[in-house]
Amino acid sequence: MLTAGQKKLLVELKSSLAESVPEGQISESDYAAKGYHLDVRLQKGGVRRVAQIMLDRRFILETVTAVDFIDSFELVYLYSTYYQQQVRLLVRIRIAKDAQPYSVSAIYPGAIWLEREVYDFFGIRFQEHPDLKRIINPDEADYFPLLKNFGKTKFTDQIDDILC
Amino acid sequence: MNITQLPYIKDVYGFLGSDVMSGLVGLLIIAALVPLNVAFLVLVERKVAGHIQLRPGPMEVGPHGILQTLIDAVKLLGKEMVTPSSTDKLLYWLSPIIVVAPAFVGFIPLPFSPLVQIKDVNVGFLLIFSFSSIGVISILMGGWASNNKYSLIGAVRSVAQNVAYEIPLLLATMPIILMTNTFKLGEIAQAQAQSGLWFIFYQPIAAIIFFIATTAETNRAPFDLVEGESELVSGFHTEYTGMRFSLFFLAEYTNMVIAAALFTTFFLGGWHGPVLPGAVWFFAKTYFLLFVVMWIRWTYPRIRFDQLMNFAWKILIPIALVNLFITAIVLKVL
Amino acid sequence: MLNIKTIDDATISQRVYQLNLGPQHPSTHGVMHLLLTLDGEVVVKIEPIIGYSHRGHEKMAENRIYEQFLPNPARMDYLSGMIFNHGYCMAVEKLCGIEVPRRAEYIRVITSELNRIASHFIGTMDYAMGLGAITPFLWGWDDRENILDLLEMISGSRLTYSYGRFGGVRNDITKEFYDGTRKFIDRLRSRFWDYENLINQNVIFIKRSRDVGVITTEDALAFGVTGPTLRGSGVKYDVRKNEPYSAYPEFKFEIPTRKEGDCLARYQVRMAELEQSINIIEQALDHLPPGPVRAKVPRFVTPPEGDCYVTFESARGAAGFYIVSDGTRVPYRIKVRAPSFSNLFVLTKICPGHFLADIVAIFGSIDVTVPEIDR
Repeated sequence: MLTAGQKKLLVELKSSLAESVPEGQISESDYAAKGYHLDVRLQKGGVRRVAQIMLDRRFILETVTAVDFIDSFELVYLYSTYYQQQVRLLVRIRIAKDAQPYSVSAIYPGAIWLEREVYDFFGIRFQEHPDLKRIINPDEADYFPLLKNFGKTKFTDQIDDILC
Repeated sequence: MNITQLPYIKDVYGFLGSDVMSGLVGLLIIAALVPLNVAFLVLVERKVAGHIQLRPGPMEVGPHGILQTLIDAVKLLGKEMVTPSSTDKLLYWLSPIIVVAPAFVGFIPLPFSPLVQIKDVNVGFLLIFSFSSIGVISILMGGWASNNKYSLIGAVRSVAQNVAYEIPLLLATMPIILMTNTFKLGEIAQAQAQSGLWFIFYQPIAAIIFFIATTAETNRAPFDLVEGESELVSGFHTEYTGMRFSLFFLAEYTNMVIAAALFTTFFLGGWHGPVLPGAVWFFAKTYFLLFVVMWIRWTYPRIRFDQLMNFAWKILIPIALVNLFITAIVLKVL
Repeated sequence: MLNIKTIDDATISQRVYQLNLGPQHPSTHGVMHLLLTLDGEVVVKIEPIIGYSHRGHEKMAENRIYEQFLPNPARMDYLSGMIFNHGYCMAVEKLCGIEVPRRAEYIRVITSELNRIASHFIGTMDYAMGLGAITPFLWGWDDRENILDLLEMISGSRLTYSYGRFGGVRNDITKEFYDGTRKFIDRLRSRFWDYENLINQNVIFIKRSRDVGVITTEDALAFGVTGPTLRGSGVKYDVRKNEPYSAYPEFKFEIPTRKEGDCLARYQVRMAELEQSINIIEQALDHLPPGPVRAKVPRFVTPPEGDCYVTFESARGAAGFYIVSDGTRVPYRIKVRAPSFSNLFVLTKICPGHFLADIVAIFGSIDVTVPEIDR
């Protein structure tokens, strides 16, 4: 159950987010079932505005990841705080396969590596990233491993086990 | 008394000249003593390390692992001596040879007992001291010739460290030399035997400084950042394999023995002791000191380089200087 | 200490040289490659190069059913294998809505805390070894052997555990485990004094760790640092208290923090956490409820469509699993949040200006596990 402090923080967040990214859909989600309190869906942009608000409110960018839906990507940013009552936010944005989103590394330096990892595995190029190169896969690799049309997945019909 | 003054040697081999004879006999003694010492010490080190770390150490070879060093030496003899292709060949080859020379020379003036001393050189202590400076050059040569950044860093560190700690070493022995008025090590031991009171009671501060300075000179922990394993892989002997590596090893342990023997001679009375013969006391004291050095190695972490230099220049040297002045004044007044 | 900011870049560029610390090196924990740019002995720039232990866990997840992925989390951070294993089970249980019986939660807490103690032994003693003190390393491993033996009694493995299952744990703890844990706790309490004497009060140790590698709270916020690395800088954040999960709300324990943010502070935080973990284990053993250790779950779990994120406190920081499911037995995407990934990146900010010997100390005090970074 949410404490009073958490509810207050959620209300404040919702209002400041709604103010700066009016085109986004902000919804509260069931923490017990989902693990995050607020779910922010962005459409065209606004990732950097959200990041600036989060930094001002002393949140950390816990992780950046992407999910490959076959005709689009979904970039996911996870924010959490260690200063106030615990509130967790998930910010997602659907982008086209060849889109080049802006990097938040100017706001959160920790995102430099997180976004390099997303580029390394999915091929999503970030604009204004200081050092966009492969991080975990070999430097000479010409493939992006976590795409659904690479390797053994359901969509390439090469999935392994009869249990699947 | 010197070996050549024993009558039969002079009679039988007198035609060759007593100096040559004594030189040869001395060389034989050194050639026997040094490897034996090192073999014994390596085993002691591993056993001491093991027991401090709650494990028994080498136990396999021989009863309680006594033959371990012998087998290690045989193994090292069999290893291929790899020479990396981009090294400076002459210096690379020369460095292990030069590093062993001071180790052998240092055994000459040591007074093992009133009778057994290879040659009571009249600049005894200075001989050892100046030859140990040659050891520094050889480390620098080894580090430079290896063409390896780690070795170079290790060699450069070692030069700075050795040069810095030679000064407190000298300053700590000066009071003793002032008190006994001689450089001859045999006479220093004699003086303590005659007066009955070891010099460590007269000069405790000098003893401590001497101990610390020799630990640093022989590159033992906590001053072993020259070969600091966790940073520099192996320091200046990274690129040395097989018998060359064992030569560096031999030199290090022999230097330790010489340093401990010097401490015994200067501060602990040398061969002076009640019941047992002098040589036994000498070696007992030396090995006790070596045990303390090893004990310290496995207890303390490594000092960082700038802290090391600060310690030498800002702390040890002033204290040693003050000690020297006080000794000089007291000797003049009394 | 050299003040890098006042030296002209042009002057530096003629004097600097590059040194590779790793990937094979006696003191980097795992296959870690640090490319240092040095000016004499002072570090000007440091660039960690990772990817040497990449095994493709996240890709493997798309090729297996949920149960078949169970061995994988322990291999990612092998030093907190039990904690990761339970974390993954928690994530799937959250997605499916499975309820775990209380006894299983308690057993999960006991094994997780034992694992945390084992991991902190390595973390602290590896740091001491990086400084040159080899003896505490062997003493720590001696104590850690006892834990490994205990955990082997119930799970069968010493390092990479697959003890947790969806809905609980695989089997109940035995009387041998119960008695062994009690004895181990008593023995460990008496050993703290040995460590205190050997390292904590050691003058050289303190001189080399004090004021070395200070992480400010601003840096921690910007880089997403968590875990003992963060608590050494004064921020009281621990997932077990801020976002309680499993049976942690029922136990009384504290979160040790230190203000200074240097290597010594992080070391002291880890040593203090050992004591807190022992308290938790004792409370859990005292109040262990009876009952089943595994809920009834279908043979192959099929979570409904959707996503979920679960976070838990591993020995290194706040780890997490983000699972996206498409309604079948095979996960659509599993993303693992590895705390060492963010903790390592802080090195690039705090290392410049320190000596070479300090780099080893700082790297050891951050306590990363490289396979967790590479996954």
